[in-house]
Amino acid sequence: MQKRVKVLLFLFIGAFIGSNLRYGESLLFKTSSGFPWGTVVANLSGALFLPFLIHYLQDRYHLSSEIVLTLSTGLLGSYTTFSTFTADSYRLYSAGQWIGLIIYLTLTMVGGFLMALLGNYLAATSAFNDYARGKKND
Amino acid sequence: MINIMLVGFGATIGAFIRNELTLQQAKIKVDFPVITLLINIIGALFLGIFTAQIHNGAILLLLGTGFCGGFTTFGTFNMELSQLWFQHRLGSCLLYFILTYIFGILGFIIGIHI
Repeated sequence: MQKRVKVLLFLFIGAFIGSNLRYGESLLFKTSSGFPWGTVVANLSGALFLPFLIHYLQDRYHLSSEIVLTLSTGLLGSYTTFSTFTADSYRLYSAGQWIGLIIYLTLTMVGGFLMALLGNYLAATSAFNDYARGKKND
Repeated sequence: MINIMLVGFGATIGAFIRNELTLQQAKIKVDFPVITLLINIIGALFLGIFTAQIHNGAILLLLGTGFCGGFTTFGTFNMELSQLWFQHRLGSCLLYFILTYIFGILGFIIGIHI
């Protein structure tokens, strides 16, 4: 029980910040055309950063499991969203904005996957560079 | 200020339930990210229902932008896709991709219309 309360506290911190960053971006990137740039920016940047956090920053800075829970499940999990993506797609479809819909689907579906691959790649190269630098200093 | 609170508290509850559910992934004997798949489909369904039924802007911020936004996740979904990709499980990777997008969008449409 006490463990669950601790988890809730860490998730509260992460989710509060993450969701409001996303909310802020949705207001910041509001355009007259109604294209959901805010969701695109939040989802693609979150997809890039999550593998980098899990596969690099976690080891590099010896982050505790609580910090990782706060940042990954809490912050990035709430910063990115799937449900809003489906709502945005439906809205573009209902408004008959076909070109906008195709651009949005492509950016999210292809872009999200490529960003995750890039995040993994950056994590691996960063870890390798640290290792190489360490070797040189030996 | 009140909007920030509504979004933040909604997202916290969403993230907490998502975390509880994701912990079950280790217990089920399926080597496929079914939990995240279900979370994203159910979250999209609920957002559809909320969007159609709730006309109060503040409650929609709490339950839609907050709860559903915090419950569903795009980051974990794509990280799991990339893991399947690096494990050379391309069939599972493609299946996960297709199931999430088709049933996610379908979930939202069903939610809007019920």
